Amino acid sequence: MALRGVDLDVRYGELLMIVGPSGCGKTTLVSVIAGVLDRDGGHCEVLGRDFQQMDEKARARFRRGSLGFVFQLFNLLPALNAIENVSVPLLIAGVDREQAERRAEEALRAVDLGERLRALPATLSGGQQQRIAVARALVHHPSLIVCDEPTSNLDHVTGQMLMDLLRGVARSPDRALVVVTHDPRIFGFADRIARMDDGRIVEVVDGGQTETRP
Amino acid sequence: MLRVAVRMLLGDRAKYVGLLFGISFTSFLVTYAGSYLAGFMTRGFALVAENPSIDVWVMDPAIESTQLTTDIPDSALSRVRSVKGVRYAMPLALTTVNARFPNGRFQSFQLIAVDEASLCGLPPLRDGVSPAVMRTPDAVVVDPGGTSGKLQTPSLAADQWPYGPPRLSGPTRSLQAGDELRVNEHRVVVRGRVEALPRYPPEPLMYTTLANATRMLPPRPHLLTFVVARAAPGVSPRKLARRIEAQTGLKARSSDDFKRDTVDWLFVNSEDVGDIGSMVSIAMLVGLGMTGVLLYMFTTDSLKQYAVLKAMGADSRLLLTMVFVQSGLCALLGTGLGLGMCAVVGQIAMVEFDFPFRMMWFTPLIAAMLVIFVALVAAAVSARPVLKLEPGVVFAGR
Repeated sequence: MALRGVDLDVRYGELLMIVGPSGCGKTTLVSVIAGVLDRDGGHCEVLGRDFQQMDEKARARFRRGSLGFVFQLFNLLPALNAIENVSVPLLIAGVDREQAERRAEEALRAVDLGERLRALPATLSGGQQQRIAVARALVHHPSLIVCDEPTSNLDHVTGQMLMDLLRGVARSPDRALVVVTHDPRIFGFADRIARMDDGRIVEVVDGGQTETRP
Repeated sequence: MLRVAVRMLLGDRAKYVGLLFGISFTSFLVTYAGSYLAGFMTRGFALVAENPSIDVWVMDPAIESTQLTTDIPDSALSRVRSVKGVRYAMPLALTTVNARFPNGRFQSFQLIAVDEASLCGLPPLRDGVSPAVMRTPDAVVVDPGGTSGKLQTPSLAADQWPYGPPRLSGPTRSLQAGDELRVNEHRVVVRGRVEALPRYPPEPLMYTTLANATRMLPPRPHLLTFVVARAAPGVSPRKLARRIEAQTGLKARSSDDFKRDTVDWLFVNSEDVGDIGSMVSIAMLVGLGMTGVLLYMFTTDSLKQYAVLKAMGADSRLLLTMVFVQSGLCALLGTGLGLGMCAVVGQIAMVEFDFPFRMMWFTPLIAAMLVIFVALVAAAVSARPVLKLEPGVVFAGR
């Protein structure tokens, strides 16, 4: 889906939701923000850096240091247990295994999974797996966390709990959260909501106030 | 991250076991086929191998192997003995004879006639029989030479000559000391069994002295096939061979060179070797192809996981290293298992079934190199989709 005239700022400390019907360009927008998709035109700066100016290696380095990801299908490595999965971003960044696992354990305790450190993903519920994914997104203290449909594979209660967790653990003054979703039941957790349609941001709802774009 | 790569590999138990099985089987097949071929080749020069005390083999200049021989004049023995550096030289004769068993059955043997005084060329006798028995009239000792069931003689007196026509279906037993055979209508007496090496192609062996051979063979212009010589201390066999050639006009080869000549000759002339070679090649191609496909499938099945790692910031070099570590580990483990399996099965086949199995030092090395090469090629081929991978595929809408 092509993006047309998207004009959007994401602020430190906020949880921004990008919402809209299927095919409206949400995933394309978040892929550009996450630096995994090249844009044809326009300007996109993430944490003061323009991906277009970076080569593949520099982008990878930037992603591993500054971005955290939570995916719809969790995308945990099935052969690794919880603590090993969470330590992967640190290992990619070159942190030694012992230290990486110590920090992963802290992150897992923060998302209330201290009792399941050695559990394999297949033995955990969807909610628990997504909490591991949140811990993995947080473990290396990124400045931007990108969540792609984080609740759409979870039941309502578990989805609400996960969003509670995201707001409580992931949100901080030096970090921004971008959540792509079409699940209206979690809209209430957003600081701002950017509504997309046909490749455009059609409105931005900010703390109850609606800002309509031409 | 290399540990993560290994965990990814081990985590998918079914694929991992399949992969290991495929690689082990390939490595087993390649090594076993190679060892089988080497076993045949070794049996091809068994005559040379079972005479470690002989340094130089002197023969007609047209002889290229132990497999196809012709005779040389008796005077060759004296000519070789006169060469400087020869410690001793003895005659050795080879020919093929048909021996008739007491029930009328006949069987071809390779007859090996040795010098009566020194018995040079005679392998050790079994069951503690003294080699002196060879010097009794009409004495022979026999060995199956890699065959089975060819040395069976009738066990009942009623089935033995001279009582009428051949009786081939009666009960039999193995030849033993005291049994009699007929060679060219001459009586020969089996004085025992000998510990000869199995031959390729397999053929029963009959050892006797030159004096006895002269009596049992029809008249022929020459009896000698080889003059076998021992080099004097300090003289290298190869150097002595060159000296004998120069002085006698006969062909002389050191034992090692004669073995090599025989292997070369077999490679060129033996149809069996061609058939075995084809089987080995097909086995290798199928096995190696299977290994390559399995490794490729494993990597492509893990593409989603690589995409996740790439999105999280793993660069291409890291992902490539992971793919190569997985392939390399599989190749090493699989090759090790295959080689171990081959050694055990080969040993059993050799000891229990007298199978021509010889694992030369280079056979497992070649097999390991082939398997590792295929694993690396498979890794290189499967690395392409990993490198081309768009990390964006991990997002749900893509």
